[in-house]
Order: sequence, then C-alpha cells, then structure tokens
Amino acid sequence: MSSQRLPTRAGELIDRSTSLSFTWNGRSFSGHEGDTIASALAAAGVEVFSRGMKYHRRRGILTADHWDPNLSVQVGDEPNVRAGSRRLVDGMQVSAQNAWPSLRWDLGTANQLVGRFLSAGFYYKTFMRPQFLWHNLYQRILRKFAPGGRVHWKTGTHGDYDKRYAHPDVLVAGGGPAGMAAALSAAEAGASVMLVEQEPELGGHLRWGGPDDLTVLADLREALYSTPGIEVLCDSIVTGRYDHNWVAVMQRSHPVVPERLIKARVGSLVVAPGLVERPYVFAGNDIPGVMLAGAVRRLINLWAVKPGSRAVVLSANAEGDAAVADLESAGVAVIAVLDARAGEDIVQVRGRGRVASVQTGDGRTLKADLLVTATGWSAPTSLLNMAGDRPVYDKVAARYFPQSLPDNVLATGGIEGDGSTAELAAHGRETGALAAQRALRLRHERRTQTARSVRPESTPPASVPDNRIPLRRSPHPECYRSTTHGLVDYSEDISSKDLIQAAGEGFDSIELMKRYTTVTMGPGQGKLETVNAAAVLAEVRALDLADIGTTVWRPPFSPVSLGALAGRIFEPVRRSALQDWHEANGATNLLAGQWVRPDHYGDPMAEATNVRENVGLIDVTPLGKLDLRGPDVANLLNLVYVNRWQKLEVGRVRYGAMVTEDGVVSDDGVTGRLADDHYLMTTTSSGAGAVWEMLEDWLQTYRPDWEVHVTPVTGGLTSINVAGPRSRDLLERLVEDVDLSADAFPYFSVRTGTVSGVQDCIIWRIGFTGELSYEIHVPSGYSLHVWESLVSSGSDLGVAPFGIEAQRILRLEKGHYIVGQDTDGLSKAPTAGLGGLVKLDKADTIGLPELRAAFERTDLPVLVGLQPDDPTIVPEEACQIVAAGSNEILGRVTSSRMSPTLERSICLAQVDPSLASAGTSVTVKLVDGRRITATVQEHHAHVDPEGARQRV
Amino acid sequence: MSRHGYKYSAGRLLRHGLTRDAWPRMWRRPERRDSYDVVIIGGGLHGLATAYYLAQNHGITNVAVVDKGYIGGGGSGRNTAIVRSNYLTPEGVAFYDRSLHLYNTMATDLNLNVMLSRRGHLTLAHTDSALRTMNWRAEVNKLLDIDSAVIGPAEVKRLTPSLDVSPDTRYPILGALYHPPGGIVRHDAVVWGYARAADHLGVHLLQETEVFDIICDGGDGPDGKGSGGRVTGVRTSYGDIGSPVVVNCTAGWASLISNMAGVPLAITTHPLQAAVTEPCKVFLPTVVVSGSLHVYVSQTDRGELVFGASVDPVGSYRVNGTLEFTEELAGHVLELMPGISKMRLMRQWSGLCDMTPDYSPIMGYTSVEGYLVDVGWGTYGFKAGPVAGETMAETIATGRAADLIAPFTIDRFTAGDLVGEKGAAAVGH
Amino acid sequence: MIVVPCPNCGPRNSSDLRNAGEVVARPDPATTSLTEWRSYLYLRENPAGWVTETWYCRSGCRRYFTIERNTSTNEIRESESS
Ligand SMILES: Cc1cc2nc3c(=O)[nH]c(=O)nc-3n(C[C@H](O)[C@H](O)[C@H](O)COP(=O)(O)OP(=O)(O)OC[C@H]3O[C@@H](n4cnc5c(N)ncnc54)[C@H](O)[C@@H]3O)c2cc1C
Ligand SMILES: [Zn+2]
Repeated sequence: MSSQRLPTRAGELIDRSTSLSFTWNGRSFSGHEGDTIASALAAAGVEVFSRGMKYHRRRGILTADHWDPNLSVQVGDEPNVRAGSRRLVDGMQVSAQNAWPSLRWDLGTANQLVGRFLSAGFYYKTFMRPQFLWHNLYQRILRKFAPGGRVHWKTGTHGDYDKRYAHPDVLVAGGGPAGMAAALSAAEAGASVMLVEQEPELGGHLRWGGPDDLTVLADLREALYSTPGIEVLCDSIVTGRYDHNWVAVMQRSHPVVPERLIKARVGSLVVAPGLVERPYVFAGNDIPGVMLAGAVRRLINLWAVKPGSRAVVLSANAEGDAAVADLESAGVAVIAVLDARAGEDIVQVRGRGRVASVQTGDGRTLKADLLVTATGWSAPTSLLNMAGDRPVYDKVAARYFPQSLPDNVLATGGIEGDGSTAELAAHGRETGALAAQRALRLRHERRTQTARSVRPESTPPASVPDNRIPLRRSPHPECYRSTTHGLVDYSEDISSKDLIQAAGEGFDSIELMKRYTTVTMGPGQGKLETVNAAAVLAEVRALDLADIGTTVWRPPFSPVSLGALAGRIFEPVRRSALQDWHEANGATNLLAGQWVRPDHYGDPMAEATNVRENVGLIDVTPLGKLDLRGPDVANLLNLVYVNRWQKLEVGRVRYGAMVTEDGVVSDDGVTGRLADDHYLMTTTSSGAGAVWEMLEDWLQTYRPDWEVHVTPVTGGLTSINVAGPRSRDLLERLVEDVDLSADAFPYFSVRTGTVSGVQDCIIWRIGFTGELSYEIHVPSGYSLHVWESLVSSGSDLGVAPFGIEAQRILRLEKGHYIVGQDTDGLSKAPTAGLGGLVKLDKADTIGLPELRAAFERTDLPVLVGLQPDDPTIVPEEACQIVAAGSNEILGRVTSSRMSPTLERSICLAQVDPSLASAGTSVTVKLVDGRRITATVQEHHAHVDPEGARQRV
Repeated sequence: MSRHGYKYSAGRLLRHGLTRDAWPRMWRRPERRDSYDVVIIGGGLHGLATAYYLAQNHGITNVAVVDKGYIGGGGSGRNTAIVRSNYLTPEGVAFYDRSLHLYNTMATDLNLNVMLSRRGHLTLAHTDSALRTMNWRAEVNKLLDIDSAVIGPAEVKRLTPSLDVSPDTRYPILGALYHPPGGIVRHDAVVWGYARAADHLGVHLLQETEVFDIICDGGDGPDGKGSGGRVTGVRTSYGDIGSPVVVNCTAGWASLISNMAGVPLAITTHPLQAAVTEPCKVFLPTVVVSGSLHVYVSQTDRGELVFGASVDPVGSYRVNGTLEFTEELAGHVLELMPGISKMRLMRQWSGLCDMTPDYSPIMGYTSVEGYLVDVGWGTYGFKAGPVAGETMAETIATGRAADLIAPFTIDRFTAGDLVGEKGAAAVGH
Repeated sequence: MIVVPCPNCGPRNSSDLRNAGEVVARPDPATTSLTEWRSYLYLRENPAGWVTETWYCRSGCRRYFTIERNTSTNEIRESESS
C-alpha cells in the first residue's frame, strides 16, 4: 500500500499539521484532522472496506459520503459507522464488519459459487420440509450470516444523551448555496432561523468546486455567521418532518453529549438537501475502483486523495466533465471519456479486488484501475414525502421533482431544479423570504390564538403570493442500466436480474418488488437504489418511469441511535413524605404503579399479628385523595357512585363504589363529609388520576351547572392508618381536641383535629384491616413529626409499622376485595357483591342502565370467600377453579394468603354462580398441577365477619 | 408443466439455477367478471385466507378478492408478525391455538417457506399485579394444553442474556410468562402463500380495485342499506360487481366499508407503529414483550431489531408516524437492554388497527343478509389470519357461524356479552 | 406531535393533552333502552375525515373542550359546538 495523498489542494479540509493515529483491522494508520475514516484509509492506499452482504465480494469506495453503502464499519463499540462521513478521531479502533475470519480471507465468498441458486426470494422456495430443520438448522445458519456490526450488549451502557426543544420560525435543511441563501434572507426578513447541515462544514457541492465556487462559499459563510438570528448546526441531520411541522434534528459534534435530538416546532421548513448522485447498473459495478464522479471529486478536492492512476470516465453531465478535469489535475491518467449524452456507454468492468479493465459499449477493452460514472442524480425527497408530497418523475430531466407541498414546507436548490451557483442562491433567497413571511404570520396567529398571552401589538404580516422564479429543469439522458446486469442495491446485494425475475413472478409493483427482493431495505433505505430499481421495473413492464411510482420514504432520513432517541431516561417514582423514614427503618420496598412504598419491614406475618393484638401504623399516602367543595358535591357523588349520598351528614364517612358506563366496577373508596360544602373523597391508589379526570369530565361536559370544585390532594396529605385494638389508646395520647370515645366518635365517622400539635388533621374511623382503626390525613410537611410521635408515644402499646404485605393479609382475613385484583375488566357490580349497596332507583348514575341489566342476570360470576380443605396449602393467586373431573374452568382464586390469625390458608375467589353457595366444595388446580378441594364460605370475611372488632 | 400448481422445492431451485429458466408467476392478473359467488373486500391475510379456504375446503372458487392497493399492503404487510396462543380467555386460546396449528403446517400446505420461527415468547412482568395476570394466563393456558408457564428472572436471563434483570431498575423484571411455541413468521410470505394457493384454485385477485359502495336492497336505511336488507354487489373503481355474499376483511378501514352497508361497528381506528434498526450480529434469541413499558422486540434473521408498541393514543387514519413513538420506544427498550444504545433506528412505519372495546374480533353474519364481517383485528390479527380464513369460509359455505367464532359475533355488544381479553392483548399482539 | 389549540392555553403539544375520543350524545339513563344505551357505549362513526372530538387539557388548565379534527390529515379546526 502506498500513500495516495496529493499535494495541497485549494479547498482541502484536512489540517496537515495534525496527525491522528487509529487502527484498521488491528493495524496502525494515521490521518489528519478533517479526514473521514474512509479518506484517511484511502490516502494510505486501502482499497477494500467491506464485503457484500450475500456474496461477500470485496467492496471499495463508491460515493465517498454519508450514503456510501460500502463504507459501514465498526468503530470501537459502535456498529455501522459511516466511514464516508464520520470524521477521524485520534485513537479510533476501526474494523471491517462483514467478513469472517478477515476482510482479506472471507469464508462467505463461498456463497459466490452457489450464487446462481440464491436468486431473489430463493429461501421462500425451499427448506419447507422437514419442518423442524428450518428452525433448528437452516435458520440458525442464516442468522450467522446476518450483516452489520456488533453491538456490545453485554458491556454497553445507555450513556449520556440529551434533548433540546427549539422553536425557529424557519428551519433550513441543507447548507449548500441555496440553503445558505435561504437562511440569510429569512433572517433578514426578521425570522429566527436554524440552518442544519449534515456535513461538518457548510457549502454542499461548492466545497469541491473550482475557485469561483470557493469564493461564493466564503462570502456566504461570512454573511451567515455575521447575520444575527441564525443558528448554524453542522454535522447535524434533519431526520424527520412530522405533522404540524414537528421537525427532528440529530445533532452531532456537540461539546458535551455524543448526539443530541433537537425537536423543533418550525414555522416554515425549507428543504434544500441538494441531490444524491446515482450509481449506474452494469456488470461488475461493485468492483473496487468503480466510483461516482462526486466521489472522486470529493476525494481529490476535500481530502487530497488520489483515487486511482488510470481512469475511464462515463459522463452524462457537467459533473462528469468536472471530474475529468479534477482527475487530470490530480495526476490521474484519463485514458477515455465516454459521453453518455452522445450515446456512448460502458458494459462491463473486470478485475479481482480492483478494476483491471473496462469494456465499452463499442466493444473496446481498456486497461484501467478506475471507472468513474456520472449518470445523474436522485432527488432525496424524504422530507417532502413526510410532508405529504408525492414527487413526480420528469422524463426530460431524468429525475423526480416536488409536486405539491403544504404552505409550511418549501423546497429550494437542486431538489427544485438546476441552475448556476448564482441562480441557485437567488432561488434560495426568494424561498427564504417567502418562508419567513409565512412563518411570521403563523407566529402572529399563534399569539392571538392564546387567550391569556399578551396580544401582539403589530398587525399580522401580509400574506405574499409565491412569485418565485422557478429553477429550470435541464435535460439529462435517462441513464439507469447498461445492456448488462449489475447491482442495483449494494447493501442488499441485489442485481437487476433479481428484480426482473421478481417482476416475472408477479411482484411487478414497486412495493411488492421491494418486499420480495428486499431492494432498498438496507441501511441507506434506497437513497441510491430506489430510482434504479424503479427503472428496471419500468423496463420489464414497458412502462414510463413516471407510471411506476416509488416506495414511500419513511423517517428517519438517516439512521438515529437509540441512545439519542431515548435521551436522558426520565421515569420518576413518587415517594411519600415518610419514605425516608421507612427506608431508614428496615423497609423492603415495592414498586406499585408510580409509587415506591414499603412492602414489609422484615416479617409481614408478625406485622399483621401485631395489628390484631396491639397497634400498627401503615403509610397509605398513595391512596387517591380529592378535596371536593361546593353546594353540589352530594349530587356529584350520587352520580359517580352506585350508592346514595344525599343523606350523608357532616362528620360521617361512607363507602362508595364506582362503575363505568358499561357497568364494570372501576374504583372504590370512602368519602367523608367534613363540613356542609366540603368533602374528602378517597380512591384506589392506581385510580387516583383517572377518577379525578373523570369527575372533571362529568362536571365540565355533563353538568356544568353544578358548583363543585375538585382539588387533588393525594401528595399534599400524608395518610397514616393507625390500626389495632390499642389504636384508640395510642391516639388519645396525641389527639388534643377530638373526643375519641366510641360514642362520641363512632365507626364510619370523621373529625378534624390536632394530632401531636399539628392542626387540621382529618381523622376518620374506618377499618380496612378489620380492627378498630383510624386513618389520619396529615398535611405532608408535618407528617414525619406525627408519624414519629405515634411511634415514640406507643412503645409501651407495642406500636410497630406494617407494610403492604401485612395489610393485604389483614384485608383478606377481613374479606375486603381489591378492585382490579378480585375484580377484572368484565366484573359487574353483582360479582363484587355490591347488591346491597347499589341503588337502582336513582334518576342518574354512571352506568345505570348496565347496573339494572346486571342485576337481572343470573350467570355472572360471584366473588366468594374460599378455604382450602387442607389448611396448609395456599393456592397461588390466579389458580383456576375447575370441574372435578375435567379441565372446564369454573372460576379462579383472586387472592390468597396464609392467615396468621386463623393459621390456615384463606382465599377470595370468583366462581361460577352454580358454585357460589356456602358449603360448596370446589376443585382448585394448583400451579404444579395438583388438584385440591376447597370450600366456599358464607362470607367474604374469614375473620370476624360480624365486624365486632372494628366497632368497639 | 402447467403454470398453476408449480411446486417449489430444493430440486426446482437447483434446476432453475442451472438452466436460468424464468420462474412462473405466483398469481395472475385476471380478467374481471361481472359477478362472483363471493366478493371479499380486502386483500390482506384475512381476505386471502378466507378465499383460499372457500376454494380448498368447500369447493367455492368463483370468488374475487378485491383490494384498493396491492395484496398485503395493509396491516398484513406492516405487522411485526408475532404468533402465539397464550391468550387469557378459553375462547381466545382455542381460537388462536387452531391458528398456530395451521401455521405449523403452512409451509408444506401452501408450498412456500413462511419462515415460521417458534423461538419462544416472553411477556415480562414488572409489578406483582402483572405477575398475577401472567399466572392467570399460564393457568388457563395449561388447562387448555398450551405450553405456557411463569418463569423467574434467572430463567429470563438464561433465555435472553441481553435483558437487564437486576432488581434495582425502575421497571424490575420480576418474572415472565414464557410461551415456547410463540415466535415470529415472515408476514409477506404468509400473504403470498395464500395468494398463490388461492389463485391456483381459481380465485380472482383484483388488485388496485377500490370499493366505493356496497349495493343493498330492502334495508331500513337509505338506499336499501341497513338492518333487514340484503347485499347484491359492490361498486368499485372498475364498475359494479354483483355478488350475493360480500365479506368485509378490511381491518383498519372496516368502519368505512361497514358504513357502506349501513352496519355500524364498535370500532375505532388507531395507528399502530413499528420500527426497525440497522442490522447487527444476532444476539436476541426470543421475542420479548413488556406490557408496562409498551414495547416488544425481536431480531430478524437479517440481524435487525424489530420493535413495536401499543396503538397511538389518538385515533386516526394517518400512517406517517410520529417522533414521540420512537423516543418512547427507545427509552423503554433501553430500560430493558441498556447495552444496545448505539444501535440505530433505520425505519419507522405505521399501520391501521381496528380496535374493539374488548380486544376481540367481530366475525360472522350481520343484520344485512349476505354481508359478513371479519374485522376488529386490532393489534393481534396477523396470527389469527389462518383460523379466521378457515372459520369464515366454513361460515359462508355452511350458512351458520363456525363454533370457534361464536363468542365473537357482532351481537355481543348489544347483548352486553363482551370478551375478556383486554388484559392479555393490550401490547401483546 | 400535533398541536392542539386549547381555548385557554392556546396551541400546545398534544402530549400536554389527552384525547377523549369522538363526541357521542349520552341517552337519558332513566328512559333509554338497552339497545340505545349500548349503541352509545360501543358504536362509533369512526370516519376518515372530520370528526368532532373531546380533548382534555391535562397538563395545562384541565379544561375539557371539543374541536374538529380531520382523521385523514390531522388538520384541526374550531368546533361549532365548543
Ligand atoms: C405495526 C403493526 C404491528 C402488528 N403486529 C402484529 C403482531 O405482531 N401479531 C399479530 O397477530 N398482529 C399484528 N398486527 C395486526 C395485524 O397486522 C392485523 O390485524 C392483520 O394484518 C389484519 O389483516 P387483514 O387481512 O384483516 O387486514 P389488512 O392486511 O389490513 O388488509 C385490509 C385490506 O383492505 C384493503 N381495503 C381497505 N379499504 C378498501 C376499499 N375501500 N376497497 C378495497 N380494498 C380496501 C386495504 O388496501 C388492505 O389491503 C400488527 C399491526 C400493525 C399495524
Ligand atoms: Zn388548557
């Protein structure tokens, strides 16, 4: 390998005073700052960068830019890096991806021998039999051949990524002459502008142009950086345009994070991505040394790399002619220029590992190591497609053009038409001005739309018509395929022959063809390949390209790392004000929805027993709490709960259950009346948000005449349940102004009072655990004080905290069901045993007609208390209840625990109504397959069904 | 050798390789007839499978499958092709299990390798209530002889080493429902297999033919549509086609078609999105689903990760996708597999899902004579395609609803007898 | 991320709001028939085009309001009934 670095070039990007060292497949190399990985390697004489996916043929530089399908490499732990655009960094470890054991000796080349049998879709036509071999053998082999790099899933971490929101009036995608001019004029018109360029520097094709181009570029760049209101982002790609001009930009070269996702709400999007040069289809078009004109121009002018020594050029346009000049200036012998405009052609390239000879259309064979093609461009219309456009093919210009764009998306530059640098810039300027005008109108309109924002002082900018002078469309020969067959898709190894075969088999629409052959489905997503594929199809079907259509471009425009899309992962948890105390006191946590809370403090059975015998404390803050005020609260409660609420007196609480409009039990809890117009509602922990929104919905859209104010206070009030026979004794030591005696403060009532010096605590007497118990709702700022006072004042009473697990045991002993556990998405009120609660004669209740219908039915499952006959067996929750002699399902265990109080297993279960009467013996199938018998109980409650313990 | 019934095999592949002879077409571009015995609207998997079984099992071959685009261009060509039968309700399990059986022998039945890969399907549980639902599903499954069990984190790690099963994550993996026969299949191949076989039996595949109206008479609504009427044909972009039987197999567009017959549906259409990464060397052996994180992932034989999620929260007929889908997706996937953050998302797309209130399909006869529906397939209809086709064909041929579809009648909504699949289907697909 | 105009808060990202679906009139539960009730519960027009729907300004002013949205294009306009 000899150095291919040329003497200094006028527009070169490399800084020759620097030397960056890196490795390529383990060998040391060096390059300069400004080099891409590919240019540094090419300068060092490297010619083969990868292997083809299917046949593992050697691949070299084709386009020398971001879209080069042959330049995907592994860099350290990063797979599929585009060596054609990624700038070299000191210390990079670069390796080839698609070769084993090495890029030089790749065993996959064996596939070349059987290539003729691996035609399009071959795998659909074989391996059908025997069935098991497909999965056990063939598929495994296929998976071994998967292309692409290696992801370090074992050692990788998410890393640091970031996101940013932006609101530019105008966002310009593409920093070539048209894009730069558009950004300038938009800013001059008063718009805030973001200019996004995918390369590390502005200029587009001007960068590798002649002295005039370089002068224009310098002037434009100078103007851009000195005009206020323009943010220039280089090494950044606009990856998507979504509804309402929500635009995604992936920013690289950020000083802090490797990649940053910018989400921009854009007034006007100006699409100026230039054009993508298209490969030519002919035999041998994937042999290293076949390059596009743009590739050699970039290599020579940007990185001072000599692309070969003897070149043949096939030129259909000025770019090809310019390439000839560049090649000559770089000392490459141009031995033949074939003019496609005059009908000249090439038909085949031969060579092993490097072009050796070129066969021309007129039958000559020329010795050369470089074949350069300039056969035209494809318009990268992705962003326009995402904006709803369906670009149309123009036969004369031999490429696609935008058809109809929404007002807030404008196109300029090469994607719009052809012109001199001056003409492109002029079109850009007009487009920028128009984009700014529209964006400023929109900004004005948004301001006026916002009821509470300060009205804009000015009048809206006038709407201006689109008077831009369109760019012309220069004629260009339609050069897609020579008379021979070659690759259409380099990343997928698909030839024109494969496509023709597919069309013959009935896959003769572009979408079906794509799916059958996988053409355009590789990492480039068809940037280089789509039009050639469509052209081959047009050829087979003897249609015009215009009648073939193309596949639909989808985001992202260029692949985006998962890390950058995720950004910083922000998944907060909610903690009660007491959570630190719990953790300091031995709690083992449990994640329950958004909340983290103590599952237990070491021994849940002991915690439960302590509640039955002494007194326990549990933090039930996640319980949803809604403060309701206003004269119509009772009406609201009457509407949303299945029971009746008009007669609830001040100082009393009541249990209520809710159903949805289709009659399914959705939430429950107690609600207390604190004052005439003031109630506190509690909901399930998981239902807190939904119930709140539901109340607002009914109040706003159904009964706006009702005066009720709903305030969620779930986190504002810390809820502490003090439960156990000695709970009253404990509270009497701390509560100052409430008479706690049984007569003065009976079961199911509420008082407001001072607890341990903290005023306005709401105390209600209810009993989820089945014991005498009080739930205290304390303003959260003071709750730690109250909790600690309870703990310290009750040491002689045996006070101890208990967690969720003990509470679950206790409530199950008591037979209280849990919505969503003992009921499910189909459970109606009768199933939950709400027969006594529901009032069907109300004028209105959510789900009333369904409630009525449900109580007419006799086939609904019934929730029952259940006890296994063997008291030592605790059937796992969700075990099925089955017919004794068969697998017919007759119900399921919804809750189960070992009861410390009864020292036996206890359950709640949903059963078929035929099994619901007390004393019925049922069969439970355990997880391990054993079948046991269990007996239906008279009550849901296993302990104290009369409720004597809680009424003391 | 006739064009029809051309058998694929390794031998054929060899012969074509040697002779370079052209392969025959998989299906024709047929001449349209003025009328058919059965017109099926929708050339997705359901429409094609229905046509195939009508011809294959019942000898009814004067059938047209009409599609406004190309075959498989709807959900059938956009889905993530997860097949499984570990549903929650016995009626669901029985139905999907039959479908898996049909998938098992499909490659030979249809003489096309559909690349069924029963690689194992894991539904992760991150909370104890999720674990309870998994147990419920596993227990129902076992009773119905479905290979399904709840496994712990260590076993999850053994099956899928790239998952982070440490207990201190925001969404710890407490266990998973493991369904060894679950897996993926090559969706396009399934569609083409049925298309080719149906065409071979004489069915007409009318592509690029849009249905604008359903012609009815005698119904209680305008133009003779609606309850009590009967169907006489369809109006298409190529003119009217007569038929006494019209079947709606249009998934995301089901409401639009059904409204043409005056039969409103309990359906809202929501986009469902999916995405795929650039290929990387294969490291993910199973299909992994997380309901709480609204994400599922599998790796194709080409090395791409295929991701899906739950439906977009806002109903629409738009299929251009959203950025927030990819952001949430990436965040959630990295919760499960923090090591893959340098993989790049290459393409996102979206399809339309016909969501019903109980996450179950609507199948069979309607109040309009001759108008049948096979819709409401939501996010899970691909795996059901074969059995839906088989049972719909039986229903049409015999004049009475096949047993397996009895729970899924259109009447269940007015009867208030919904199916209880919600818990199992939400992200499960 | 579409922009939804809240009558109070102005245009906002849809992630700040919740879509509550097509507006359907609720029959009077006192007089309705089950068939009518279940049509209200389950049957939807589900058009490909303009639909009147409810949104909830979840992270903003918490107002429920209706707008019209085109389900084929996501264009939004003021609803006559709001
Ligand atoms: C992203 C995504 C992922 C999914 N993942 C899975 C999965 O993993 N597993 C699973 O089981 N399911 C999955 N599904 C669901 C599954 O894809 C669908 O339920 C299934 O494909 C429906 O098949 P179908 O044949 O009924 O409808 P489709 O395949 O949608 O076919 C309907 C056809 O009707 C045609 N049509 C519509 N209107 C008209 C008209 N007026 N005239 C003529 N033709 C018309 C359309 O062009 C279309 O081809 C997923 C769906 C999506 C979108
Ligand atoms: Zn608001």
